[in-house]
Amino acid sequence: MSDAAQIRFRAATEESPAARWTLIALAFAGLAILVFAPLIAVFVEALAEGVTASLKSLASPDARDAIRLTLTIAAISVPLNAVFGIAAAWFITKFDFRGKAFLITLIDLPFSVSPVVAGLCIVLMFGANSALGGWLVAQGYPIVFAMPGIILATMFVTFPFVARELIPVMIEQGRAEEEAALTLGASGWRVFWTVTLPNIRWALLYGVLLCNARAMGEFGAVSVVSGKIRGQTATMPTTIEMQYQEYLSVAAFSLAAVLALLALVTLLLKTALEIRHADQLAAAHRH
Amino acid sequence: MGRPFIHRSPMPGLGVSMGITLTMLSLVVLLPIGALLLKGANFGLAGIWDTVNRERVWAALFLSFRLSLLAALFNLVFGVLLAWVLVRYRFPGRRILDAAVDLPFALPTAVAGISLTALYAPNGAFGQIAAEIGWKIAYTQWGIFIALVFVGLPFVTRTVQPVVEEIEREVEEASATLGASRLHTLRHVILPMLTPAALTGFALSLARAVGEYGSVIFIAGNIPLVTEIAPLLIIIQLEEFNYDAAAAIGIAMLLISFAMLLVINLIQIWSRRRIGYV
Repeated sequence: MSDAAQIRFRAATEESPAARWTLIALAFAGLAILVFAPLIAVFVEALAEGVTASLKSLASPDARDAIRLTLTIAAISVPLNAVFGIAAAWFITKFDFRGKAFLITLIDLPFSVSPVVAGLCIVLMFGANSALGGWLVAQGYPIVFAMPGIILATMFVTFPFVARELIPVMIEQGRAEEEAALTLGASGWRVFWTVTLPNIRWALLYGVLLCNARAMGEFGAVSVVSGKIRGQTATMPTTIEMQYQEYLSVAAFSLAAVLALLALVTLLLKTALEIRHADQLAAAHRH
Repeated sequence: MGRPFIHRSPMPGLGVSMGITLTMLSLVVLLPIGALLLKGANFGLAGIWDTVNRERVWAALFLSFRLSLLAALFNLVFGVLLAWVLVRYRFPGRRILDAAVDLPFALPTAVAGISLTALYAPNGAFGQIAAEIGWKIAYTQWGIFIALVFVGLPFVTRTVQPVVEEIEREVEEASATLGASRLHTLRHVILPMLTPAALTGFALSLARAVGEYGSVIFIAGNIPLVTEIAPLLIIIQLEEFNYDAAAAIGIAMLLISFAMLLVINLIQIWSRRRIGYV
């Protein structure tokens, strides 16, 4: 686009300024109503009775137990899913086998299953009524209405996150670098740690970030499997629900504000990764 | 996937990576889904039909799919607009808008749910304005629609954005040189290129909306036959320890969403073939 001509004439491959600014205004207005307003509302409602009231409700035993449980769940399920994601991406991108497309479809399956149905599946598999669940309860290891069930439900809904980020990146990078390292006599693990991991670290971090945000915020699947026992299986999102239904608005929104802050930090880090390490992320995230 | 299916490779770690992948996939995803399908098999198709074929269940399923379809259509149009604006135009605040598109992915659904309810309830910031013209949003189907638009918002934008970035200007220039107006070029040259990606985003948005629970139940009001969504029915059955009925509705939802994904994938294949653009 030449600079002088641009002032008087519009390039044939551009919209008129009026059309352009209308579209930009629509984008701003739409996102303001749909996204920014709900985000602001969380903090407005949380601070409705002042900062002190909000902080006090966050220090209550219910809130503290919920925060602790949610952090524990994320600390277990996210690394497990990261290990799965790395293993699955390695298996899929470093080897040629039949049924690869089908395997990828299976890994993506949790995205098209309702979280409530996911929770239901886990209840049917591991609940006290099922053969396996009944046996486990008899051994003293209840899954449903206990922490393992929440972890399984969380892992189910976040299952594809890391694998999805890694697979396209590892396909793009190919196998040549690993093959060179192997030829030079490096062991399998050494190849992974010194060649593959440095190449995929930003994509891995990206996947882990998204996985963690979803893990800490999961509600539907956890509602079904947790039983929402106060102090034991009530996570942050389910505690928000309980407090909201008991008309403890400030308490519910204060906890919600903590999760909203987490979401904002996640977006911030994600955007930073997209700007700084675009070349090492899946093509879909480079913009 | 037995050994003959795998080609020989000098790469290490076949056993470990395949072992972890298949074990975790089975334990976390496949066996639980299998348990649901097995429950359904024991129950029989007739049993499932008897459970599903009730006014309240039909109403909930129909409501979920109708509103999800409408929300996905809204997101299709707005998502393509957003993708175009974010890629093609330079204006202050573009980065923030771009990041904001992903907020519905990052914000927990329960948080979105109570916050949308606070906004659209009759005493909320938007609810008050709507109430003045006699428009009730929260606790009606409008409320569900808005929650579903929120959760499905990022999908179309994120699938279309990379495609807009890759459009070659030469194509547009050629169209303009041949005398096409800008609108004609957009309609007949650009839009067909975006269609497959837009449909993919539409499908993802639809699938997400159909199963959505957290952001909807607070704003829905949950009145049977009117604002009760299908996932809530499963929860209600589970709370009454009625596992058979919960499983029957769960299988119905699973089958319908798989069927939808299949149909939309077929549309996508068809449109790709028609346009010859991959």
